[in-house]
Amino acid sequence: MVFERNFLLAAFAVAVLVPLVVQGEYAMHIGVLIMFSVMLATSFNLIVGYVGELPLGHTAFLGIGAYVAALLSSTFGLAFHWTLICAAVIAAIFGLFIGAITLRLRGPFFVIVTLCFAEVLRLIANNWIDLTNGPMGISGIPKPDWAMSGDVLQQKVSFYYVGIGLAAITLYLSYRFVYSNIGRAAIAVRENRFVAQSVGIWPFYFGLVTFVLAAAISGVAGGYYAYYVSFVGPEVFGFSFMISMLIMVLAGGKGTLVGPVVGAVLVVLLEEFLRDFKDLRFSIFGLVVVAVVLFLPQGLMGFITKRHEAYKVRQARDA
Amino acid sequence: MSDTSPILELRNVDAAYGKVKSLHGISIRVAPGEVVALIGANGAGKSTTLRAISGLLAPTAGDIQFEGRSIAGRRPDLIVRGGIAHCPEERHVWPDLTVQENLHLGAYLCRDKGEVAKREEMVLQRFPRLRERAKQAAGTLSGGEQQMLAIGRALMSAPKLLLLDEPSLGLSPVITMEVLSVIRDLRDQGITIVLVEQNVHNALSVASRAYVLSTGRVVAEDSGAALLNNAEVLRAYLSG
Repeated sequence: MVFERNFLLAAFAVAVLVPLVVQGEYAMHIGVLIMFSVMLATSFNLIVGYVGELPLGHTAFLGIGAYVAALLSSTFGLAFHWTLICAAVIAAIFGLFIGAITLRLRGPFFVIVTLCFAEVLRLIANNWIDLTNGPMGISGIPKPDWAMSGDVLQQKVSFYYVGIGLAAITLYLSYRFVYSNIGRAAIAVRENRFVAQSVGIWPFYFGLVTFVLAAAISGVAGGYYAYYVSFVGPEVFGFSFMISMLIMVLAGGKGTLVGPVVGAVLVVLLEEFLRDFKDLRFSIFGLVVVAVVLFLPQGLMGFITKRHEAYKVRQARDA
Repeated sequence: MSDTSPILELRNVDAAYGKVKSLHGISIRVAPGEVVALIGANGAGKSTTLRAISGLLAPTAGDIQFEGRSIAGRRPDLIVRGGIAHCPEERHVWPDLTVQENLHLGAYLCRDKGEVAKREEMVLQRFPRLRERAKQAAGTLSGGEQQMLAIGRALMSAPKLLLLDEPSLGLSPVITMEVLSVIRDLRDQGITIVLVEQNVHNALSVASRAYVLSTGRVVAEDSGAALLNNAEVLRAYLSG
């Protein structure tokens, strides 16, 4: 708990200071992608790591957030903060609805049904041309006020700092949640469902609360993304975002708050770094993932925690 | 059993795991303050009966009444709220959480922090070993200590009725004696207990009455002493 808090505060400080040291459009672009990924991975991890189910259709909420932001800003000219709040609320409402159905299922059934929801939404986005403009997507999302002025670099820096702010809020909420009574109950359910029930915890309820929170965070991430790329198409519901989230959370370590942050940074940097390898990029990426699953099944943070504990035990024994 | 109205009554309860029916018309009555043992061989339906009572497995037929109200098929958390604590078999604790966290989760439904602290103090007085290890991960405790923790956690909900599933399973004779003396203490405090045991002599040393279960049916019911003397029943159903 203390370690997580300190690590996250340190990461926040580093993130804030980075633009003073590293400059350039490309660096800021990567910074924005990292912040977006941190939000997404944290949200995904709330369900994978704390409810213990795999929502393979988690992109549903990302897509809803992105479309809500795109429609509200381009059609109604709503300001950035209002559209983001709407994105969170509408994603949360969908989360409530989808969660209320899917959380009655477990294991593979949960995976498949959540996946179906995302797929249905993708089809709707593709075919409801009046609303979503179909496969053409919604382009020309107006820039937020704070990104209007300045050159491209200045705009990217602004996006980066807003991203830090949103990611910080995300992690703060998650931190409060995980260490609240509800979060503890969620962990109790994940660790042993029957015992949790036997002390009076209602697993469905805690799953649902977690699901709604995760959906809202994903919605905000989607809205932020829509503004940044100023275009939203049906592919926000697609599987490639899903795979990124999954890898970030698995590589970083699920069920910890630090894990997804580390995973997001690693995956974004690795994806950029591997661009040099062109066609080999995804093959190498796949090999890295296989290696992580084989050698660090608890993710990087799980590995570090275990080493740390072993070290403490050794110290205690030697003392 | 006396004529007082029972705190818990099962009437012709059936239960099944999927298509496999494992309880066939179980009927049991437990008076307030009584310790009742369910004994029987492996697979007799003892644990399943407890699960039906605590709501972890909804009965498919029959009725379960607790304090005169039907609780059959209700959500487990509502049943806990009503005053029934189930201490599941194999003494499941949360191994990665500390002893103290395990205890606090036991009082999950109690929102009053002062009350939780009071209950925790009572449990720690009863199990001083848990106090020594309060900050330790529960998974590092010995088997006996984990059993104490599981019972302590169940007591944290301040239950009127405690369901104990094989508390002596896998414990050394000395620790088993300790567990049994705890059960006697709880009985003397007025907590009603339903105890599942494979070891007949242990069970009957604390229980005033016992039901003998075999393949999902109640095949005998008597006072502890009478059952112990009934060599025929013991041989037939308990292979000992």
